[in-house]
Order: sequence, then structure tokens, then C-alpha cells
Amino acid sequence: MQILTLKEGLETLQSFQTKETATAFSRLAELTLPTKKTEGYRYFDIDTLFSKKWQLYRAKKVEISVSDIVEIVDGIVVSAPKEVLVSYSTKRDIDTEHFDALYYLGHILSPEVIQLDCKSDAKIKIVHRFTQASVLLAYRLQIQTSPNISLHIAESFEGCDAKDTFVLYGYDLHVQRDARVEMIKDETLIEGSYTPIYSNFIELEAQSVANIFSFDFGNADGLQLLKAKLEENSTFNAKHLLYAQGNGKRGTISHIVHTQKNAKSFQMAKNILQDKAKGIFDALIKIEKEGGGTKAYQNSQAVLLNDGAYMVSKPQLEIYIDDVEASHGSSIGELDEEQLFYLRSRGIPLQEAKKILILAFANEIIDAIEEKEIQESVHISFENVYYGQSQLECMLSCHNCSDTIIGEQS
Amino acid sequence: MNNMIEIKNLHVDIGDKSILKGLNLSLEAGKVHVIMGPNGAGKSTLSKAIVGHYDVSVKEGEILYKGKSILEEAPEVRALNGIFMSFQNPVEVPGVNNAYFLRTAVNAKRVFEGKEELNAAEFLRASKNIAKELGMKPELINRSLNEGFSGGEKKRNETLQMLMLEPDFIILDEIDSGLDIDALRAVSEGINTIKDGKRTFLIITHYSRILEYVEPDFVHVLKDGKIIKTAGPELVAELEEKGYTTLEES
Amino acid sequence: MAQEEINKAVSGEYKLGFEIDIDEETVPPGLNESIIRFISKKKKEPQWMAEWRLQAYEKWQKMQEPHWAHIHYEPIDYQSISYFSAPKQTPENLDEVDPKILEAYKKLGISLEEQKQLQGIAVDAVVDSVSVKTTFSDELKKQGIIFCSISEAIQDYPELIQKYMFSVVPKTDNYFAALNAAVFTDGTFVYIPKGVRCPMELSTYFRINALNTGQFERTLIVADEGSYVSYNEGCSAPMRDESQLHAAVVELIIMKDAEIKYSTIQNWYPGDINGKGGIYNFVTKRALCKGDNSKVSWTQVETGSAITWKYPSCILQGDNSVGEFYSVAVTTLAQQADTGTKMIHLGTNTSSTIISKGISAMKGQNSYRGLVKIAAKAEGAHNYSECDSLLIGSECGAHTFPYLEDKSSHAKIEHEATTTKISDEQLFYLRQRGVSEEDAVSMIVHGFCKEVFSKLPMEYAVEAKALLELTLEGSVG
Repeated sequence: MQILTLKEGLETLQSFQTKETATAFSRLAELTLPTKKTEGYRYFDIDTLFSKKWQLYRAKKVEISVSDIVEIVDGIVVSAPKEVLVSYSTKRDIDTEHFDALYYLGHILSPEVIQLDCKSDAKIKIVHRFTQASVLLAYRLQIQTSPNISLHIAESFEGCDAKDTFVLYGYDLHVQRDARVEMIKDETLIEGSYTPIYSNFIELEAQSVANIFSFDFGNADGLQLLKAKLEENSTFNAKHLLYAQGNGKRGTISHIVHTQKNAKSFQMAKNILQDKAKGIFDALIKIEKEGGGTKAYQNSQAVLLNDGAYMVSKPQLEIYIDDVEASHGSSIGELDEEQLFYLRSRGIPLQEAKKILILAFANEIIDAIEEKEIQESVHISFENVYYGQSQLECMLSCHNCSDTIIGEQS
Repeated sequence: MNNMIEIKNLHVDIGDKSILKGLNLSLEAGKVHVIMGPNGAGKSTLSKAIVGHYDVSVKEGEILYKGKSILEEAPEVRALNGIFMSFQNPVEVPGVNNAYFLRTAVNAKRVFEGKEELNAAEFLRASKNIAKELGMKPELINRSLNEGFSGGEKKRNETLQMLMLEPDFIILDEIDSGLDIDALRAVSEGINTIKDGKRTFLIITHYSRILEYVEPDFVHVLKDGKIIKTAGPELVAELEEKGYTTLEES
Repeated sequence: MAQEEINKAVSGEYKLGFEIDIDEETVPPGLNESIIRFISKKKKEPQWMAEWRLQAYEKWQKMQEPHWAHIHYEPIDYQSISYFSAPKQTPENLDEVDPKILEAYKKLGISLEEQKQLQGIAVDAVVDSVSVKTTFSDELKKQGIIFCSISEAIQDYPELIQKYMFSVVPKTDNYFAALNAAVFTDGTFVYIPKGVRCPMELSTYFRINALNTGQFERTLIVADEGSYVSYNEGCSAPMRDESQLHAAVVELIIMKDAEIKYSTIQNWYPGDINGKGGIYNFVTKRALCKGDNSKVSWTQVETGSAITWKYPSCILQGDNSVGEFYSVAVTTLAQQADTGTKMIHLGTNTSSTIISKGISAMKGQNSYRGLVKIAAKAEGAHNYSECDSLLIGSECGAHTFPYLEDKSSHAKIEHEATTTKISDEQLFYLRQRGVSEEDAVSMIVHGFCKEVFSKLPMEYAVEAKALLELTLEGSVG
């Protein structure tokens, strides 16, 4: 087992150099490993993770059994549905212009990546399970679609036992021409368990569509980094719901790059901060010279539930061509006074009225999920952290049941 | 005399501006009262003061509801005690399901009154029937609260809430503005349904349109932050004819 | 519209690029302790000021030039710059001012003869490193208002200078501020006493004339309790192939119930289409709203300079204090601007407004960079920002980098930004009504900037409009 202290720099990583990760090495050397002064990581406690002496954990590969879901335990696939092609590969398509150093570090520390080939329409559930305490776990997923297919992927994470573990994970998603992908991440973090940094790359070929959702809940630190590269006429939708509690520092750092003409991107982030939690939204839309006819829209909203909660929002536009429509909006504040008053004037107590409005704020993102089954499970995840387990049943009877009853009667 | 509302020497500011300047008004229980007055006279401020809106600050004076002061009460406490206001322009609340909201409100009131909560089925049956009578499209009850509703749909939705919550004192703030004739008739019928001689109504308007459908008992004229005249329904026609300016001289 | 015509429309000739032919005393290029002592001695400064300069210089040597801004330029050789240059004649009164300087200022549209001036504007004229003339200062003195060059103030009002200079922008605040603290040569000092409303617009006109010199001026304005002043600055420079450095510092201090309105029309030489020549404009401007109910308003129209690096900021310390930032920045030719503001909310119920309009044409690169920070104690604080960019042509760039941080749950930040090109629909509509393409572009650009121009004092709004027309030459009928 290898021991690594990331702060000590690139020399300690030399033994990982292979033909396949040479690009990653040279890019990492250019970018250098992030410190607390690096943009994007400024508000996140990266130094603590980097100064620790880590054991790099490698599990042994096992035979993949057949089940309904793709199950990845400590970076190793243990089961998968028959129709999903799973393999390990040393070869990979690395983005040579990724902004994030940890994207390259993740590649360097993963001699092999898990490859998912999707040749036809599919709905895939991936469960990531972390079992080892106090280790550095690094692995990556590479998802390749065929042209024209439609794919739904839902990722969830379990890691109660992975106390003080640092998970460096991420995916490279290549969406081929005219394909359509919905990718959903649902992760609730609990203080004292693992700390995730997930660095992703999404490449959209011509006319393709990707809808990326992230649901980041809980009271511990975690960061996701996202780069999307848009080719001609592609559409990228990103929706992020963050609900951070306790002392959690949590957020999204993203670069959406329009490299060719007529692509569209829409990004919407909603952030709910409670206790002493800190929310980070640092998102850039870049439109290159060749990106004429681009439409780009970005919006971020945050609600601070109490003093001491903290939101940092950096919506950015970088535009090198005049033929574009780009805008962003960002707001941080309290719940809408007028809406609160309306509910109270109908006899609903203040605390209850606040809860109703928070739920509505969150639902706007959750209800945009196409896959109903996944939508329902994300509702449950949110309500679990928002109301706590005890009220779950009550809530289940509240939001969707009315549809059913009315449906039956009419 | 049994008064539902008793307002004494009320001074109210909105921001730095003084709007109500020593207003006195008694509203007899079980009657339909109309407040008329020119634009900017303070009609909406008066209704906001009664329901405890965050915009208003009461500088002086008293509002008694059923004989008790309500100035210190939270808006929801006033509502639970039976005060209902139909808003001139109800706020849109995206993401909050209309039915879920109304059931929460109805049950909050039932709990307050020591009654059992309605279950989802009972609630929906009741609300659906009323919505039908009001000529509301059934899907409205399942949409987000007021979101994307037309003016008429919003007013019907306000009336639905009023009928479900069964309040004792009802303020209708410009309920007739922007309504077509069908909507006006439906809303008026809704009002007449719960006009039982016990409930008290305060209709705020600067047209007399709604009064063709709901007959008032008293007409109060509000001008420059004060009530300057109180009379019977015959005053409506007089105001229609002569306007507010001549009133002062008389 | 054909690209050629657009380029013609947005590359107005620089009209203020003449040179004033006067005798100047210029120190040889280079920066060291003895140069700093020389400047201080030349200015007849007391010992403490010389010490302050040397402290700043010592720190500056250990600092790194910042490179986080979205601008690219050739490295600056600080040893090749001359740090002091002054017209040889130092006049005692107007009759003694070199007629060539008077003539030059007249060319710039500014008369230094009080009787010939527009009523109600007092001017401090600075050429290179020194103030050559301050008008109306005697009349203002009757009301207790101090309006003089900073060099005079250091000699005449040492207690005010010692109290306020470096209190908002510390000596070593940043690389360029530290350099300025070490070598600043002149600038303006204004003090408005308690309860006084300054009866006229105060203004300073800066002119870089000498070759290979840097200009490092320093402005300090103190508005005491309940006072009000409106202050304006303008700038220009001759056309030269070499780039010249301008690193100024402005400090504003606003006490309880006081207000400062600070307007800038910046028209330094922008360099040519290939990025040759032009002023490197690295400026630190900061206002401290110290007292309750104090107010500061920055309005800037930035059309010149090859490089602009400038973030007029407001520290809203007093409760209910108000900060405003209104900006029009035009980058055409090969100009690059990275400009914006910082609004630091510390007091309760503080409010700030940011309206930024960026126009990019030809190869211009225009970035808005702004920080809004609300401290946990700043209950009821409110910020509204609007940053709009207009792009003309396919080779320019417009970038928006806002940083929003909120620690108070009873506060509100709202930020909006849009980037658009001149819409074909609008152009067509105007042309269909008989307006030429160039005029239509100009009309649309004016409309885009209107909100900011309306914040300028009347005379300057006229000047700003004329300047915009000049910069986007040919586009106005």
C-alpha cells in the first residue's frame, strides 16, 4: 500500500506515470496542485486534505455478478446488469484543457478507469460504496454513449463506515452525436465520514443533449468540479440543489465552454444554507470565438436560514464573440417576505410557512428530473435531511398523493 | 351595539409617509360594510393594518377585533381568530401546491379550534365541490399557488380559500378589479353564500360594480386618511354622481 | 452592417494627443532611495513624509506585481521610468503660468482664468508631476473649504494629512498603491468642514506630457459631518509609441451625514490598433463611509488607456451608509479594461448599487470584476448590481466576474448581468425610419449608457457624451 502526502508536490507521484497518463502529468505540472489560495478552492478546506499522510487504497478486482444495479465498492465493480458493458481500461480520453488540477490528479492515481459502454437506450443505477476508513480512494469512471441513444444514469453514494476517508472520484462522459443523457447525483454527507472531491468532464458532440443534476445534502465538506465542452447545436442543462448544514463547506465549481456555434447551456443552482454551513457556487460560462449563435443562461439563488450561514457566489461570463445571448443572475437573501405573509395571513404559523417555502424552493429542481422513480427518491433524500426521519411518512402523504386522489375522482 | 371591529384614532405610516391620520371606524357585526374613497386615500393601508402586514407601522391608536386589541398579534394569529383578507393582487408562490397549501391552512384552523384535522380525501372532496361552484378549472387546485393564474383565476382562488376557511370577518380588497362579468358574478355568489347575518364584511372598492351583486348595509367614505362620512347604501349612487370632492363641502 | 463601417464607427481618432512644448525638468529614469529623497526634497516635505515614502518603497520592493486581472501587457520595467518631471517655471499666480500651458489647457477645453471659467467650477491643473494652478481656492477658503494641491497640503495642513492620508488605502495596500505611496508627486487635497455644502464643482485635470515619465498622483478628500461635495477628474496624454505608467491613488473619507460625489472622465491616450503605446492605468480608489448615514457615489466614464486596472470601492462602515458605482467603460482598438468595484458592507442597513456598462469593439477586451461582501453584523444590508455588456464586432470580448459573499441572513444581494450585441432588429427599425447605420449604432450605444450619464454633473455629462461620440467617431450625425 502506498503512502502519499499530496502537499509534497508532484515528485511523490512519479511512480504513477504511464503512457496513458502522460498528458495528465504535464497538465497537472502546468496547473500545479491547488492550495487555499487557488481560485475555486479558496473557500474550501483543501489544505487539511493535502497535508495529511494518506494510504492510497486499492481493492482487488472481483468477478462481476449480475444484478439490477451497477455496484462499485471502493472503486471496484462488484455487480452490474447484463445489458451494461463494464470493463477496466488503461486507455482513456482525457480532456486536455480541463481547468481543475484534481481532474488530472484523479486520472494519475487511477491506472485503470472503469469503462461503461452504452450502446442502446438504458436506465442505469450506480451505487458507490465506500467501506475503508482513513484512506485515500481514487478511481474514475468513463462513460461512452453510442450516437442517437437515450440514457438515464442515477448515482448514489454510501459510506457510513468510511470514516475520514478522502474520495477522489469523477467521470468522463462522452455524449456522442444526437444522443441524450440524464445524469443524476444524489449524495447526503454526514460529518465524520468521507470527504468527496468529484471532478467531472462532459463532452457533448453535435446535437447531443446532457441534463446533469446534483443533489448535495448534509453537514460535511464536499466539492464537485464540472467541465462541459459543447459542440455545435448541443444542449447542456445543469441543475444543482445544495442544502448544507452544520459546519459543512459544500459547492460546485464549473466551467461551461461553448466551443462551436449554436450550442445552448442553462445552469441553475439553488442553495440552502443552515447553521454555520458555507455554500460555494463558482461557475464560468465561456464562449469561444467560434461559438456564434450561442445561448447561455445561468442563475443562482441562495437562502441563508440563519446568521452564521455563509454563501459565496461567483457567476462569471467570458465571451469572445458578439453573436451571443448570455445572461446570468444571482441572488442571496432571505425567503420572500410577501410570500411568507400570504401564507401567514391564511393562518399558517411562521415556522411552518418557512418550511413550505423552502420545500417549494427545492422542489423546483427536484421536479425537473425526468425519471419519476428517481425524482421520488430524491424527494425522499431531501425530506430526510430537511425534516428528519420521523416526519418522512407524513411528507410522503403530502406532496404527490393529492395528484393521485384527484386523478381517481375526475 | 355589537361591533366586530372598533378602530380608534388610528395613525399609520408606510415607510416615511403618514397615510392614516387619526381614523375612527366601527363595523357592526353581521353587516356588509363598504369603504369607498379616491385613489391614495389609504383604503389598502387600512386593510393592511387590520391583517398586520409588514409594510405598515402603527404609530398611534387602537384596533379592537371582537373587543380585543390585535395590534400585537402575528398575522397568522389574526387569521386563526377569523380575520380573512382577499388580496387585491395575490402573490404567486412557485413550487407550493395549491391544494397542499390550503389543506395546511384549513387544518391549522381546525387544530386551533380544537377540531379534528381533515384527511386528504375529505379535504379534496370539499374543496373540489366549492371550486366547481366557483367555476374554477379543476387543474388549478393542483398547480402551484397562484402561479400563472389569470386575474380572474386568482380572485376565484381567493374566494375558494375564503369559503374553505370559514372566517368571521372578511376583507375584500378591490375584489372586483380586473374581473370579467362571469368571474364577478361567481365571486359575488361565493360571497353571498356565506353571508349569513353573523359574518361581517368589509368591501374595499373604488367602483360600485361589486355592489350591484352584494348589497351593502353601510357605506364609509375614506379620504386623506380619515373616515369623513358614514351612511346607508343610498350614498353609493350619490358618490357615483357627484364624486368625492363635493362630499367635503356638504 | 459591413465590418469595415463598424470599425470606422468605433475607432475615433484621439484628439488630445498633442504635446505641450515647454521646458521641463525631468530626473533620469530609475527608482531608488535617493530618487525618493529627491522628490520629497523637491516638494519641501517634512521629514515624516520622506520616512513614509521610504517605508512604502521598502515594502514595495518585496511585493509582486499582481497578475490576476484579465489583461495582458508587456512587462513593465520600473527602472526605465522617470519618476519626476515638472515644468521648469513654478508660478506664483496666473500671470506667471507658462502661456503654453494655458494654451494647452484651453485646447483641452479648460480655462484656468477664473473670470473666463464656467460659473461654479474650481480647477486644479496638474501637468506631469506637479500642480500648476488651482483656481478659486481663496474664495473657497472663506467657507473653510480647503482645495489645494496635495504638496501644498503636506506643508500647510500636516495634521490633517497625518490623520487621513493612508487611512483608507494603506501605504502597502497593493503593489501599485505602494509604488504610488513611495513616489507620488502631486494631486489634490480637499477638506469640507462640518455642515458645509461646497458651493461649486471641484475638479482636477491631469495631463501627462513628458516622455518616459510615470504619473503618480494622490487625491485625498475628507467630508466632515453633514457636508457635501461634488468632485470631478479628467485626464489626457500625448500620443506616443511607448507605453506610459499611471498609478494613482484616491482616498475618500465621509463622516456622519456627509456625501461625496466623485466623477471621473478618463481619456488617457489608448494606444493604436496594434496595442502600441498608450497609458497603463493602474489605479486604487477607495471610499470609507465612516459615519452613519454617509454616502459616496463613484461615477466613471472610461474611454482611454491601453490598460485599465481600477476598482473604485466603498467600505460601508457607518449604519445606513450608501455606496454607489456607476460606470461606462469603452474598449476599442486593442484596449483592455479590467474594472469594477468593491462594496464592503459592515454597518447595519447599508445599501449599495452597482450599474456597470461595458462596450467592446474591434479588438477591445472589457472585464467587469466586482466584489460584494456582507458581514455577519450587517443586518438589513442590501446590494443590487447590474452589469451589461455590449459587443460590436466579432473580435472583441466581454467578461463578467462578480464575487458575491453574504454572511448575514437578514441581507440581500441581487446581481444580474447580460451580454448582447447590437440587435439587428433595433438597427433595422431605426434604419427603416431613415437613420443611417452609423447614427443608429451611436443612438443605441447612447441609450445603453444613458443610466450612467444621468449620474454625472450636467457639464460633465455633456463632455462624456461628446467623448463617447469621439471614441466611436463617425457614428454620430
